[in-house]
Amino acid sequence: MYRIFLTGVLAILAFQVKAQQKQEPWKPGQLMATEVLADRILAGEAENMLIVSIGPDDPIEGSFDIGPGKDKESIAALKSLLGKTPKDKEVVIYCGCCPFDRCPNIRPAFKLLNDMGFKNAKLLDIPKNIKVDWIDKDYPVKEEN
Amino acid sequence: MFSLLAFIFATLNAGAQDPGLKIGDTAPEIRLLTAANDSFALSSLRGRLVLIDFWATWCAPCVKEQPELKNLYDELKKQVGEGKFEIVGVSLDKSRENWVKAIERLQISWPQVSDLKFWRSPVAKAYHIEELPFNVIIDGYGKIIAMNLHGEELGAFVRRHLGTD
Repeated sequence: MYRIFLTGVLAILAFQVKAQQKQEPWKPGQLMATEVLADRILAGEAENMLIVSIGPDDPIEGSFDIGPGKDKESIAALKSLLGKTPKDKEVVIYCGCCPFDRCPNIRPAFKLLNDMGFKNAKLLDIPKNIKVDWIDKDYPVKEEN
Repeated sequence: MFSLLAFIFATLNAGAQDPGLKIGDTAPEIRLLTAANDSFALSSLRGRLVLIDFWATWCAPCVKEQPELKNLYDELKKQVGEGKFEIVGVSLDKSRENWVKAIERLQISWPQVSDLKFWRSPVAKAYHIEELPFNVIIDGYGKIIAMNLHGEELGAFVRRHLGTD
């Protein structure tokens, strides 16, 4: 009985992982852990990257704000910013409103990165939101305006 | 079998909220501006049962819940008028424009406050909010008597406490 249950759970999980991989515009290797980005900013190594907020706000130190990726105007602003950026540059985008399955902003923005041929595109892996996964961890934030 | 799965998920979900605030604690003061730029203090509502609804226009499930809150508010119009019940919407929006437009579109008539600081809001910190939607119900003494109730459960709890069920 227990074995059947376990097999069932594993099958469901495997199916979900597969389904997610199929439909998301990013590959698993393109997710960047918050700790990795925070360490690079603190080490002064963030100058070679372009960090872009595609969510409601841009709390991460050194990041550009282009507005929520679900809005056409934001995607146009991102397009214009990326137009001035070398294609091999490491571009990290983040939202942080909510978990990925509920976030309306990350997919349109990441799709644009793919469409414009940015091979070194990353999505900041924020499991919950920018408060829990960044601010509460005392990672580097901008001065509040 | 199904109940075991349900139990596992319920346990996982229960762990999602920061244990910082609990039932019986005094709700931290909320002193913010309303959408009409008037000052507001949660403590001014002492004596009432208050549902504090934390939401944002960028949070789809929160927006979806607003018509349900509106139904409850309309149903309890008499208790609101008698100073027994109130809802306070605390928004974690960043854009004032989005916030004000949503209040109009959803025809929300209960007090709406925000510092427009998104997840950097000190209120989110004071209430240890880890995800939206989130709500707290406080009694007339400002003590927390329920947390994160939604749907039927929320309505039933409020009615029971107001003695209207």
